[in-house]
Amino acid sequence: MLLNSFQQQAFDHQRPVIEKFGRKTWMWTIFFLLWIILGGYALYLQIADGHIVTGMRDNVVWGLYIANFIFFIGISYAGAVISGILHILNVEWRKPIIRIAEMITVIATIIGPVFILLCVGRFDRLHHLILYPRLQSPITWDVLAISTYFTGSVIFLYLALIKDFAIYRDAKLKVPKWRQKVYKALAIGYRGTPSQKRHIKISMNLMAIIIIPLAIIVHSVLSWIFGMTLRPGWHSTIFGPYFVLAAIYSGTGVLIMAMWVYRRMYKLYDYIQDKHFIYLGYIMLVLGAGYGYFTFSEYLTDWFGSEKWDSDVIHKLFSFSEYGWWFLFANVAGILLPIFIVAFPKTRKPGWIALASLFMVAALWVKRYLIIVPTLESPLLPIQDTRLEYVKYSPTWVEWALTLAGIATFFLFFTLMSKFVTIIPISEFGDKEKATEKITKPGSEVVPA
Amino acid sequence: MRKIFQILTTSFLALLIISPGKVIAQTDSTKKETATYSPLIEFVSIQKNDNSVDLKTSVKAKINGTLTRLADLKIEFTIGRDSTAKKLGEVITDNKGVAAFNCKPDQLTTDKEGKLNFKASFAGKDSIESAEEIVVVKRGRLEIAPVKEDSLLAVKVKLVDLSTGTEMPVDSTTLGVYVKRLFSALKLGEGTTNASGETTIEIPNDLPGDAKGNLTLLARLDENETYGNLEASVVQQWGTPVSDEVKELPRALWSSHPPIWMLVTFVVLMSTVWGHYLVIIIQLFRLRKEEPKTVS
Repeated sequence: MLLNSFQQQAFDHQRPVIEKFGRKTWMWTIFFLLWIILGGYALYLQIADGHIVTGMRDNVVWGLYIANFIFFIGISYAGAVISGILHILNVEWRKPIIRIAEMITVIATIIGPVFILLCVGRFDRLHHLILYPRLQSPITWDVLAISTYFTGSVIFLYLALIKDFAIYRDAKLKVPKWRQKVYKALAIGYRGTPSQKRHIKISMNLMAIIIIPLAIIVHSVLSWIFGMTLRPGWHSTIFGPYFVLAAIYSGTGVLIMAMWVYRRMYKLYDYIQDKHFIYLGYIMLVLGAGYGYFTFSEYLTDWFGSEKWDSDVIHKLFSFSEYGWWFLFANVAGILLPIFIVAFPKTRKPGWIALASLFMVAALWVKRYLIIVPTLESPLLPIQDTRLEYVKYSPTWVEWALTLAGIATFFLFFTLMSKFVTIIPISEFGDKEKATEKITKPGSEVVPA
Repeated sequence: MRKIFQILTTSFLALLIISPGKVIAQTDSTKKETATYSPLIEFVSIQKNDNSVDLKTSVKAKINGTLTRLADLKIEFTIGRDSTAKKLGEVITDNKGVAAFNCKPDQLTTDKEGKLNFKASFAGKDSIESAEEIVVVKRGRLEIAPVKEDSLLAVKVKLVDLSTGTEMPVDSTTLGVYVKRLFSALKLGEGTTNASGETTIEIPNDLPGDAKGNLTLLARLDENETYGNLEASVVQQWGTPVSDEVKELPRALWSSHPPIWMLVTFVVLMSTVWGHYLVIIIQLFRLRKEEPKTVS
């Protein structure tokens, strides 16, 4: 594989990162593993003793797990939509950041559905979902949509990685032999011939086109699980677009945060530049305004309608003795803060934008919680002789432990992937430039361009 | 001086802590005695046309100003007066405070006047005082018979007195005819008995029945001074059949097949997406095949 000067420079810069695991990385890995072990113990308790160890009961049958599920599927939009749209529009500045975006997509799509499984009371009947699916059920739609979306995301990431795998293969990295074999296998014989480039290009274009409607369908289906039930706060026609917009929004936030972390961690200032934060900040501003509009529209219509059950939920959200503070945080940090930070030139800086993203992502997690729990705490039929703990939900340590384990798994996967592939795609740089330099490592294989 | 004061104070505090409360406690003259409640028993008898009698009590008491139904109380039912009284049985009140007992015809004994003397009594429990209630009614019976003339539907109801041992028709008594519905009986009409103790009441021909069109028709004499409550029932296939089977709803989760449009949408969407994946996988296979031979 021939590399031009820019590619060579980018590769040389990142080569030590994927060759050495490093003490810091080990420490992080062990830290995340400890959280995952704690989550494993919590999972063991949940399986052994049943869902009684969680805060979920007859009334509030969904809690933290579903909030996490929607959250992770939401942030998976970072790669799917942002990367897909920027690819179709052939936006040049996307190149250094698309790998991070696509990695977020794949990892989040792996972790998100695990939280759905944690809600399943009877694991022994899990295979019934595949053996006896009922196409009429939104849950079946969700299973099919997410598995299709996951497959697409893996293909999309892999397509973008093939050229880089070929570079790693030919560079003879100082890595264990099994890893060299894996790089070779994953490069599937790519040597950069015009015909091979064409195959990749066709595939990438196809995936970029299909992944956008697919991602929209997936999150719409997810919203319909709520929107198609006659529950206050859920039964809304705008839930589909509302969920989609919120997903892209939170995905953008996570992407900005990841960019900020990697830029500092691996000193990638030459590649992930200030302009990337500002451009994504603009995208975040537009999405934030749209999300704010949807939020206002949703709650205004519910409030103005004054339908009894809707009013109950609205009251819970606006009452400071119930969810008022959380609702305020979700809207201030989730809507106003990112808009103001990006709107003013003084705060339109990578650090500020990343900070706003952090708050926004946290606020959108809270928002997902507020979509689920207050509604379930407002049963349509008054239930007599029910216990207070059945009506009021509060998560137990088991649910928190599994939530933190999920977040730790997300970070662990990210850490491991960043040690397996370069965060900045090497091959994406300089396609238009003339290849002037080749990898000078001894034993590297060179194919004429 | 200061040290002595400290020792005295500490000793006094220690004495207060270790001494039993009764040393310094006084008898609390304001202590309230445990409150007791006087239950109220509502007691009714319903004489049926199979000659049995339903005895029904409802027990309540005023607790904190609210009339509350009392559950888990043992109610004893007896028949007869004083020395001739005979125990019929005991029933525990349910969570609505109701205890019901069916008295079989062979358990019934009348006094010299041909009257039935029922007593429902509660012996008392914890803070609830004892209570009893008596019902004295004359022995009587309602009979109901369906009558169909052409398209006209009716029931003939007859009221007879059994207190003398022979059946004596009772005239000039107003009674009602009802049809049994899901929660309570719906009144269809009323009539007054003639000299032979009979009255005929018309029944509408468009009443919804069960799956077979059956209607349960009731004749009732309510809260009569002499006979108390009397009831007779008959089941007649005069209603419009209403199926209790749930009709198939194609959209429902439990229906056997999804609607066609849903199936078509699903197949189109899935085949479009997976078709794209297939094309991409074929492209990757071609890419692999096109690896230059010059490089090993």
